[in-house]
Amino acid sequence: DALLGCHRSYRSRPTHGIGKFKYLLPKEVPKKRKEKVQMKEIIAGTEYQYGDVNIQMTSYDLCLVEHFAQYVHRLCNRLSIRVNESYAMPTKTNEVLFLEERGSKMQLDAVLTTHQRVVQIRGLSSTFAPILLEIIQSNQPEGVHLLVKQHTEADFKSRLKSRPELEELLAQMS
Amino acid sequence: SAAARRPWRLFGAMCLLRLPRITQPLEKEEEEMAALMEQIELEKSHYSDHEIRKLEEEEQLKRRKESLYDEDEAHGKTVIMAQDLEEKWEQKFLQFKAAPRITDADKSSDWTSLNRKLDSNLMLLVKQKIGNQELWLLPQVEWQPGETLRSTAERAMATFLGDHIQAKVLGNAPYGVYKYKFPKAIRTEDNVGAKVFFFKAFLQSSDLSQAELKADYLWVTKKELGDYLKSEYLKKVNRFLLD
Repeated sequence: DALLGCHRSYRSRPTHGIGKFKYLLPKEVPKKRKEKVQMKEIIAGTEYQYGDVNIQMTSYDLCLVEHFAQYVHRLCNRLSIRVNESYAMPTKTNEVLFLEERGSKMQLDAVLTTHQRVVQIRGLSSTFAPILLEIIQSNQPEGVHLLVKQHTEADFKSRLKSRPELEELLAQMS
Repeated sequence: SAAARRPWRLFGAMCLLRLPRITQPLEKEEEEMAALMEQIELEKSHYSDHEIRKLEEEEQLKRRKESLYDEDEAHGKTVIMAQDLEEKWEQKFLQFKAAPRITDADKSSDWTSLNRKLDSNLMLLVKQKIGNQELWLLPQVEWQPGETLRSTAERAMATFLGDHIQAKVLGNAPYGVYKYKFPKAIRTEDNVGAKVFFFKAFLQSSDLSQAELKADYLWVTKKELGDYLKSEYLKKVNRFLLD
């Protein structure tokens, strides 16, 4: 009896589609799969404005470098300079071995990690650039190396990892 | 370009800066804050590999003294104990001597040496003859038509310090202007006064042995500038100096 009593909202019934609500929600863009990372256009500077400029900071001490990178980023925000990206390069680990010849031959190890942070800037006017440089230079903490250079393709490529198996297969195909 | 010959004479001056080599000492609050943060971090942090190793070896030693069945564990035992390593490192650290922050030049207040105040900017001041007065100024040279003002400033640097200076000039735009009128005695129709354009440069190498210094020179910090420069000149110069 219970089976016959229920009124299923079949297509012919007037109550068909009574519970629908999805048409009321805002349209969702379908999630894309991961695309290949494209290189953004690198602007070459004109005479009065620099294009993309990379400020690279390297040091052995992680906290110092990170704080300094944050400081530079905030400084640029305050001076209304457009910051494209601020990213970190992979850390390099160096093992230092001391060989002591005196007495028993011992090896003392030291493990040093080098960290690098990059802040990319666009739209730096040539009258303002030396002032900014001076501010950053005078506020450098100890042990941090500063490098300011223009952004090139090689810089962008250095961030990507090469896939040897893929290259091998491609070479085999062609 | 001979529309109206300007009655001003142009000079280019170079402000040569030696960047600080050491960071400035922390203020009292900064030091207290740093100590507090260090203590907090120490208490919050986990043990490192070395410390864990040290603790394990201490436990092993204790067990050895109390009971005597450590023969089996002796196989896996390392030759070097963590404690020995620490002592070795301490000895090495004691041997290391840091360079003094206050150098000899500071104590003897030798104003001509570059080693003076290692934590602040030093600027070059030169004694120059202007009119009939000898004044302390930033090195300046008159502009000649046909060259850029920046090359005038570089020439000024070269005349006073020799050609082998390794200095990096920042940009092509001047940092400041100082204009003054000549006293009425010398004033003619063409020469009403002079304008001095300042440029900045950073000294790259700290070695001035190759430079031939021709006149009296001083390296001064920003605070000591007031003792040497005239007030009007000083006001304009102070505008573009960071400290």
